[in-house]
Amino acid sequence: MTVFKVPFNGYSVKFSPFYESQLAVATAQNFGILGNGRLHVLQLSPAPKSNQPITEIASFDTADGVYDCCWSESHDSLIIAAVADGSLKLYDLSLPPTANPIRSLQEHTREVHAVDFNVVRKDSFLSSSWDDTVKLWTVDRPASVRTFKEHAYCVYSAAWNPRHADVFASASGDCTARIWDIREPGSTMILPAHEFEILSCDWNKYDDCIIATASVDKSIKVWDVRNFRVPVAVLNGHGYAVRKVKFSPHRASVIASCSYDMTVCLWDYMVEDALIGRYDHHTEFAVGVDMSVLVDGLLASTGWDELVYVWQHGMDPRAP
Amino acid sequence: MAMRDLVTGGAACAVPGSSSSSNPMGALANALLGSSSKTQERLREIPTSATLPSDGNAFVGTGEPLSVLPGSEFDHPPHPNAQGSAFLQGFRSADQNGLADVWDEIHQPQQIPYGNEAANFPSERPGLQPDMNGPPQRVLSSFLHSFVNSSHGGIPFRPAPLPVLGLSEGDKQCIRDRSSIMARHFFADKSDDFINAQVNALLSSLEIDNDVRARGPMHGRYRELEEYWNESQSMRPPIPNAADGWVTEFAHHHPVGLSDPGNWVQSFEQEHGTNGWASEFEREQSQLSSLDRMRGGVMPDMAAMEQSRMLAHTLAQNNDPKFQNSKFFQFVSKMSRGELSIEDNQFKASSSTAGDWATEYQHQYGSGGQTWADQFVHEELSKGPDGWANEFAAERGQIELVNDEWVNEFSKLHVNDWAEEFGQQVAEGAFGDSSADNWASAYDEFVNEQTALKQRSERGVYEFSDLNPYVGHPNPMKEGQELFRKGLLSEAVLALEAEVLKNPENAEGWRLLGIAHAENDDDQQAIAAMMRAQGADPTNLEVLLALGVSHTNELEQAAALKYLYSWLRHHPKYGTVVPPDQPENLYYGDVATYFNDAARMSPDDADVHIVLGVLYNLSREYDKAIESFQTALKLKPRDYSLWNKLGATQANSVQSADAILAYQQALDLKPNYVRAWANMGISYANQGMYEDSIRYYVRALAMNPKADNAWQYLRISLSCASRNDMLEACDARNLDILQKEFPL
Repeated sequence: MTVFKVPFNGYSVKFSPFYESQLAVATAQNFGILGNGRLHVLQLSPAPKSNQPITEIASFDTADGVYDCCWSESHDSLIIAAVADGSLKLYDLSLPPTANPIRSLQEHTREVHAVDFNVVRKDSFLSSSWDDTVKLWTVDRPASVRTFKEHAYCVYSAAWNPRHADVFASASGDCTARIWDIREPGSTMILPAHEFEILSCDWNKYDDCIIATASVDKSIKVWDVRNFRVPVAVLNGHGYAVRKVKFSPHRASVIASCSYDMTVCLWDYMVEDALIGRYDHHTEFAVGVDMSVLVDGLLASTGWDELVYVWQHGMDPRAP
Repeated sequence: MAMRDLVTGGAACAVPGSSSSSNPMGALANALLGSSSKTQERLREIPTSATLPSDGNAFVGTGEPLSVLPGSEFDHPPHPNAQGSAFLQGFRSADQNGLADVWDEIHQPQQIPYGNEAANFPSERPGLQPDMNGPPQRVLSSFLHSFVNSSHGGIPFRPAPLPVLGLSEGDKQCIRDRSSIMARHFFADKSDDFINAQVNALLSSLEIDNDVRARGPMHGRYRELEEYWNESQSMRPPIPNAADGWVTEFAHHHPVGLSDPGNWVQSFEQEHGTNGWASEFEREQSQLSSLDRMRGGVMPDMAAMEQSRMLAHTLAQNNDPKFQNSKFFQFVSKMSRGELSIEDNQFKASSSTAGDWATEYQHQYGSGGQTWADQFVHEELSKGPDGWANEFAAERGQIELVNDEWVNEFSKLHVNDWAEEFGQQVAEGAFGDSSADNWASAYDEFVNEQTALKQRSERGVYEFSDLNPYVGHPNPMKEGQELFRKGLLSEAVLALEAEVLKNPENAEGWRLLGIAHAENDDDQQAIAAMMRAQGADPTNLEVLLALGVSHTNELEQAAALKYLYSWLRHHPKYGTVVPPDQPENLYYGDVATYFNDAARMSPDDADVHIVLGVLYNLSREYDKAIESFQTALKLKPRDYSLWNKLGATQANSVQSADAILAYQQALDLKPNYVRAWANMGISYANQGMYEDSIRYYVRALAMNPKADNAWQYLRISLSCASRNDMLEACDARNLDILQKEFPL
């Protein structure tokens, strides 16, 4: 069983795009409502039956909860943390702890809820914040390149299109998802995707026109941005707000999600019985889920039960 | 097995690295005393990083050369910015030029020339929050935990009295903002009110004032429409003494009449005044006992208690109008003041009336009470928690002996009535009888009771003015209409009263009287007058519309639908839209459909759009409501009350800035529109512009000093603007001073 206990409540987990054994975990004290945060970098043991299946390589403390993190797509040691105090912090694992964070970007006026690295243009990333804005950054600039302010309420996530370096989608509590092209002054499409707040969105990795949105209304909807009047699919099955949605890097129609109903679910939106896997290993809200780019079917999740799980799809995350 | 512990989260690993466990009380004191200065010294408590590079993994690169990375960084660890930026240049990806070109084309005001960037970097100071691993953290953590968990069952969150945690303003802001936003995710199935109740319960137990501007994603609070007609039940004499903040605040939270047994505190205090130390005393009392429970009888730290006393005092001065919306707060505040308490899982009314006799004592003997109380608290603290109750009783006995007069006087005031009544309530199980499980039902009962009382006392009888110069006037109706047209509302009221005294069946007289009262921001009288108008003429369309609006303001959907439905049915044009026999139960959707049909029949009838706007307010579809009112305004641009409705709706949908524009339109059309002046003040207050709000309230009050609501709002704004120096003038209703101080 591959589980790791962190001292604070888990908020997000991300596999390294460079090493199949590394993952970063964002955590926050007191459910992120008040207190410190910590960014953990974990190492999976290569031996399958090791005594210590996961060890910690490094951890970085922050003065407020860490709500999200992401790995750089260009450098294996660079991690960006989205901190609840409104800052983005850049950490370099190859530097000694005293030199970290190598940069702190303080522009958002409210909590930063998510951060996403551009996989095509590998030096830029997006941050989405409760100050209703999305900001575009590059790792080499001290200030944001652009601020996208159109949403009327918290922006909970923004995700780059996997193919077009200038296109991204954002999900907001104003019940809309928006599609943006950074070459345009405003959003290019407004998708009133749900009747309730939208907490997460992600692009299909194989079809650059398909996005998924996850909402407080407990559903995940899959949309084709060329014809957004009707969703391609509506995935019902979560019992509470769906916190994160993520397309599989390996299978075009597979989606992973996690929810305040404490489960992690796997879906295939192309088939009739879309729910293909349901994991209820967390004992508190499951708020972070990721699928490894390097290992097909390898999943990681974290939740407010302060645990990080890594497992193969089809296996029991809690199995010894 | 060890893993099982991890999974189940055994107590041992709940708070790893718990600091200063040998002296937890000291840690509490530290947390309390140090909370306001969250400074660099905290850095020493938590290492900046806990890198475990032993396996060497962390320092291994991908092979991509990071040649710009100088090894000299190790020499200047505290300010890695220069190195950091140099280092970061190495991160520039291969296609940097293309990207830079694209983005440079985009106009970028904040772009900083590359060479200067090191200088522009904010220096990174990872000032960590207090390492709250001591008891406060544990308490807070488990407290927040129960808040979060309350979402699982969707049960009302039941806070227990907490020790003071020493949260800083920033901490409170975090808790307030974040819990509000998160609660909307957790409680997706629940109504807005439920969510607000949960958050309010959390905040008030942590002694955090809720924020008027706390944001919700789509549903605004029903603030202003609610305020229109709310609080109309209690027409009280002004508070005689300059009471400390919380008493007034409490009084504001209990706008229900004397008949409410739960409100004895209010009436008692309003009649006798208090400086609020009694409440502090009670707070301390509950804090002491909860500390006892927590610490198992460890002697509380004196400094911590002093700190908490001061904090309690600061909090006591906070007047927050948002709490007016929270019935749950009333319940919780009773608890936190020790009027209700949990003992052995039982929910009990506090038997001791310590706070009240103390108040009375204080009242009788003036400022001496404060010192006495402090001394008392200090003495008790030094004597240890176990003995204090006895001593308290003993001292109380002594004082009773010494001060027989006040005891007698005290008992003369029928305080026993409320005590009995309250006791009966408890005996009857109104607040739950045996187990903590009954909290939820107790809360329901409480709410129902409040609602019932509200409804009972609400449909008031119209009260005529004592001295009316217009009685005996040959044609008071004409005079009243004339005065109303001139905007002399208070005079018009008198003339119209004379008219309806003469002709009690004059529906138009009653209607105009009701409108005059409404515009004068006197809601109880307005409702009473409108009811009389309807009695005289059951099919008068304007009266039906006014009653529909007023019930919408009261959030009484069923009644509002009834009147709006009647409006449609009695309308000569639209009578055919609705089925001839009125159904037993009206459904919102049906009524909305009828009106939409009517709007299609004659899209140029402003009245239909007005009713639609009101209906959408009922369903909280503010955007549609705004649209309807705006359509109506195109047809009736000079209807000042319509502008006011638009403003109120905009304010409800959290567009206070737009609301101000709408109110301004209303006032341009009718400068003496007291309600619009007062609403203007509310909108400014909602935006945190308290000084401005004060000017508008004062203006409204100058025109109608009888607008009791406006006095209350004024007081709240004065407190929020830290103009406590003007509270006296406010309490004395001295408009001369206020107008001089706050000219518009």
